[in-house]
Amino acid sequence: MTKKKETPRSTSSLLTRRTFLGAAAAVGAGSAFMGPWKHNRVFAAASDKPIKIGLTHDASGQFANSGQAEKRGTIMAIEEANEAGGVLGRKVEYVWMDTETNPQTGTRVAERMITRENAHFLVGAIQSGTANAISQVAQKYGCIYFNTNSSSPTESGKNCHRVKFVWDGNGENFSRAAANNAIKAFGKKWLLVYNDYVWGQNTNEATKKVATGYGAEILDEIAVPVGTRDWSSILLKIQQAKPDVVAAAVGGDDFKVMRQQVRDMGLDGKPAWINNQQDWPDIYGLGADAAFGVFGTTWYHYLDLPGVSDFVKRYQARYETTRINVPGNVTYNGYIAMRELLRVVAEVGSTDNIKIIKALEGRTMSAADRMQHHDAVIDPTSHQVQQTIYLAEGNKNPRDDTDYFKILSNSDPESIRADANATCGLESYADTPNYDQG
Amino acid sequence: MYDLIPHLINGLALGLLFALLGLGFMLIIGVMEVINLAHGSLFALGAYLALALMAPDGGLPFAFMEPYYALPAVVRYVIALIVGPALVGLVGMGLELCLRRTYGTDPLYGLLLTFGAALVLEETIREIWGSTEYYLPVPKAISGGFIFGDLIYSNYRIYAAVFAAAMIGVLWLFLNRTPYGAVIKAGAHDSEMVRALGYNLKRLRLFVFAFGAALAAIAGIIMAPIWGIRPVVGVDAVIPAFVVIVLGGVGSFWGAVTAGTLVGLVVGLTAAFLTDWSMLSMYLLLLAVVTFRARGLAGKASVLEA
Repeated sequence: MTKKKETPRSTSSLLTRRTFLGAAAAVGAGSAFMGPWKHNRVFAAASDKPIKIGLTHDASGQFANSGQAEKRGTIMAIEEANEAGGVLGRKVEYVWMDTETNPQTGTRVAERMITRENAHFLVGAIQSGTANAISQVAQKYGCIYFNTNSSSPTESGKNCHRVKFVWDGNGENFSRAAANNAIKAFGKKWLLVYNDYVWGQNTNEATKKVATGYGAEILDEIAVPVGTRDWSSILLKIQQAKPDVVAAAVGGDDFKVMRQQVRDMGLDGKPAWINNQQDWPDIYGLGADAAFGVFGTTWYHYLDLPGVSDFVKRYQARYETTRINVPGNVTYNGYIAMRELLRVVAEVGSTDNIKIIKALEGRTMSAADRMQHHDAVIDPTSHQVQQTIYLAEGNKNPRDDTDYFKILSNSDPESIRADANATCGLESYADTPNYDQG
Repeated sequence: MYDLIPHLINGLALGLLFALLGLGFMLIIGVMEVINLAHGSLFALGAYLALALMAPDGGLPFAFMEPYYALPAVVRYVIALIVGPALVGLVGMGLELCLRRTYGTDPLYGLLLTFGAALVLEETIREIWGSTEYYLPVPKAISGGFIFGDLIYSNYRIYAAVFAAAMIGVLWLFLNRTPYGAVIKAGAHDSEMVRALGYNLKRLRLFVFAFGAALAAIAGIIMAPIWGIRPVVGVDAVIPAFVVIVLGGVGSFWGAVTAGTLVGLVVGLTAAFLTDWSMLSMYLLLLAVVTFRARGLAGKASVLEA
């Protein structure tokens, strides 16, 4: 196709005095609404413009699979809201950008989402470092950010923010649920292995604190660089140390590689493996026998609870082509978080950040509604959702190709509550900018 | 010392795999004088094709393949080891045909072309198989563990090391004991002279590129059960391959083998005793060697040393 050649025209012929004055008037009138965000509330009341959600889900990097699984859940909640007539009579739209499992990209994406895309809210993240980066930008502007799937204790601990809400269980929750039972069942000699970045380090610290509190003796702590492809030397070292229990805080692709090699070297039976948390996408593709050890999670598609099978069917109707055609815990967290955000917007009757934050703090969510065994609450002092934590292991008698896991127990949120109060200091409301995109 | 032996054996096994990885890379540099940045993607493609030939859920939903998957795992594995590299060899041929126009020009063109090819291959893999991590199943005979001292060790690691050593041996015999091997070596030394002697240089380059690509695929298939299979696994492969040939000295067969073994030992021992440094160790080794010997362990003297 040939490009049409433009005829050069003088600027004066385009920009007449009348046009200029008209444009100036329009800008002047517009600025009354479009200026600093604190004025935008005036506009919001009469707005019928869509509510825009900025999705910050990874599509590349170490957590690409989980990020996409999370995105499916988030979008499902948005689409269901729209099919039910929208929120406040307005359509809910989303804009998505890949945060690449990378804090620097997370920062850039968050800035762009807020300043150029005019997103009302930000949702999504797997890696805690990326989530932390996004939340710092969000706090700067006052934009509410739902961290859907990061589970470093620091996310609702020292890196907590007034605008950030953390929807996954964290390393401390999982350790509390697992440690005491593991010591009783397998023994006191523990060896800790963790990914050497914020989530691994802090989850490891939490595990050590909880396990030693129950009487565990820590034989060694092995920090493993992110991206390690060959685990054989580390596994030989573990085997030489002869621990009763190995507690692993290893995530994403590294966890998959580690699993393969543990299985390959025949270490999947003894010692006992306590895998702090298991995101289902990390297992799919490896085969059910890669699901050795005990691990924590927040949800499973075969929980025998009302609403679960209906949710699974709705998911399958919407996403027919995913490799494992059921929602996992990551998808679930994305869905539940997004659905709750839209509900609160509807209840509050506006997109004003401070009103919504106040409505979220201390909010209780019924077990039946969340498809879990116990009611959940958003901790007002840390903004983390305290919820049911399940312990699971690989399923030796699966009922179908998706039935990788067997749920062993469920813990009441109160009994495994994360103690964030010591490290989390939320910004005051006065220090949190008022934010409303109208 | 007793504690060290399993780690030394482990490092040696890993080293042989690194050496195998580097040799195909070196062959292409030798004859084409092109740093093939797509080598890692060809490695990944080999692993994915083996997956499709081994596993019914390997990402290719073709109903007509069902009778094939009924074959015993050993048979499918042998087929995967032959057909996978052959197909990747064909892809390598395609890439060489594109690369021809860059010979004799600024080396940057060849570099850019292979970099582009790496991106295209990676995205094609992502399009067909998605970004999900896969595990390449292997026949039972080479899986599981065995007792060494009081440690359980992986059967597959030993199989992989023996396989890599055998491949290195076969490659050496081919290059040093066959007429065509002699032509390849001569081509690496002075390709214009080979042409002057009446050999079809175009065909030689096409064959060598395909051969190098097939070697990358074989390395990918052997490494797949250890490293896992995902679209970016090629990046994990191309970096050690590069380190191995620079460390060994570009163009030196035994230099690459020695360097591969050294890298394996250093990475293995660092991972065991200074885990935090395991990712860096191969680069530090490279730095230490090239600081004192810019040509690498067994490379010819370069202008840098003149």
